[in-house]
Amino acid sequence: MNQISGVQPVLQRSYRLMLLPAVIAVLVFAVLPLVGMFVLSFTGFDLVKGWDTGFTFDNFTKLASDKRFINSVWVMLALSVFGVIAQVIAGTLIAVGLEKIIPRWRHVRGFFVVPFVVPHVAVALVWLSLFTPTLSPINAFFDLFGITIPAFLTTRWGAISAIVIADTWASFPFVMLLILAALQGISTDLDEAASIDGATKMQVFWRITLPLLKPALLMVALFRFIETIKHFPLIYVMTNGGPGRATQATNYYAFIQTFQNSKVSYGAAIAVFLFIFAAIISFWVARMNARLSDA
Amino acid sequence: MRKPKSKNAFSWKQAAGVTMMLAFLFFALLPIIWSFILALRPENRLFEPIWESPTALTLANIGKLADSGFPKALLNSFITASVSTALAVVIGVPGGFALAKGRSSRKFLASWALLLLRMAPPVGFVIPLFILYLNIGFLDTWWGLIGAYMVLTLPLVVWSSWTSLSQIPDELIEASLLDGATMGQTLRRVVIPAARPGLVATAVLAFLLSWNDFFFALIITRSDTVTAPVAIMNFVSYASVDWGSIAIASIVLTLPTVPVIVFANKYIVQSMGGAVKG
Repeated sequence: MNQISGVQPVLQRSYRLMLLPAVIAVLVFAVLPLVGMFVLSFTGFDLVKGWDTGFTFDNFTKLASDKRFINSVWVMLALSVFGVIAQVIAGTLIAVGLEKIIPRWRHVRGFFVVPFVVPHVAVALVWLSLFTPTLSPINAFFDLFGITIPAFLTTRWGAISAIVIADTWASFPFVMLLILAALQGISTDLDEAASIDGATKMQVFWRITLPLLKPALLMVALFRFIETIKHFPLIYVMTNGGPGRATQATNYYAFIQTFQNSKVSYGAAIAVFLFIFAAIISFWVARMNARLSDA
Repeated sequence: MRKPKSKNAFSWKQAAGVTMMLAFLFFALLPIIWSFILALRPENRLFEPIWESPTALTLANIGKLADSGFPKALLNSFITASVSTALAVVIGVPGGFALAKGRSSRKFLASWALLLLRMAPPVGFVIPLFILYLNIGFLDTWWGLIGAYMVLTLPLVVWSSWTSLSQIPDELIEASLLDGATMGQTLRRVVIPAARPGLVATAVLAFLLSWNDFFFALIITRSDTVTAPVAIMNFVSYASVDWGSIAIASIVLTLPTVPVIVFANKYIVQSMGGAVKG
């Protein structure tokens, strides 16, 4: 051991040398673009009119009174909140079901993972086909009984539901996998003790399993929340922000301002808003993670 | 009398539970099965319910896809995803190792920075990259896209190799160093082999992040280096949507992701979520 502590300073230096390329690469590839984003947001860059490099706060003051921007924040929150709730409930129910209801159907587990690996553009396209009334087998099936399914994508809340459903399909496996891992970390002794004391399965679930899952559930929900903010292919392919502006979430609005309206700096300011949002949530996650690792 | 009754009630609950699981299974599999049906239906039967002509199937869409620009787009996807993953692993794994085993007072800062880079909205990265690439002629090039994918892969690789290499016992590293190996040799010959499953899972996930990307490729590529997820949209036009080609292209695009299902175990979970404990 003495030998080790003798070489400690040398060791620390070689650790730093190993870290150096990663630090440089992260700075060049990831941090530099972010600096560019901030610089653009405080200047006036328009793909048509060119770059006015003088410092300005205009982009941000404009944001505050832009009705389309405020609408986009509400859309984003609706997609995120409903999406996360649906995914966490479905993923948790399936994870608990796999462990407690059908523990012997081992091979079924793989089927539930499939949606997770499908590229989002493919997810968007297959759900677009399922929500196209003339094509969808769901509509055709209900037609047999004379029931007409309304066209989801033509109404405000229908379009929001359609995106939430597609996103839930693609993302419940993520929740399921993490909750399964957490369930396997919970000792079964407590369950057994409770059932010996006469608790029903439901009581065991509500009073023991769920409280023990709370940290994992919060973490998963935060992870999913941040991912839902970044929705792009689902909106681009399924609704294109419509009908009207019903599904034009903030991330999508930044894309439209930058690449369709050529207002680069204004788009960058919207991106800064989203970045600050992500910074707050990631700080929360990092702190929870540090606590869980120490525990 | 009481015993059989309670047993009966129990099995009703069991049946309800199994029904719920079957309903979820149906939800999970319907779009997959539907994709295969779309891919195999002849064009003139597309809008006819499958139960009215269940045997009207064709392989024509596969040939059509092979003759389109899609195979080249697949090659673009494969090259850019592979190179960005390889670079991220070569640069990122030693960094993750240093964070896992080195002493530093700034580890919390590092973990927050890495998480933030993974969570930050891509639109924030892509706007400055687009302006930069426009000026240096990097739009629609492999290197431009690889540079953009480093934004996705590098933070993931550093973060998750940090997580999986923390579990290597210190004694193993000390023993190797006492035997006279250098730090680089220890990493290559001792640490990486010991952590192989976790690191393979990390590389697979990094590859998938680039492979599945739609947003970066939509903005940065045009015709030459267009990747498969963006090329699928060529089958959608204002006049009509070529559902058969879309479905078969989606299936081909999803095939390389199948190893993840095989790997869907604790390693993938670790790489995705970090240290989530019950």
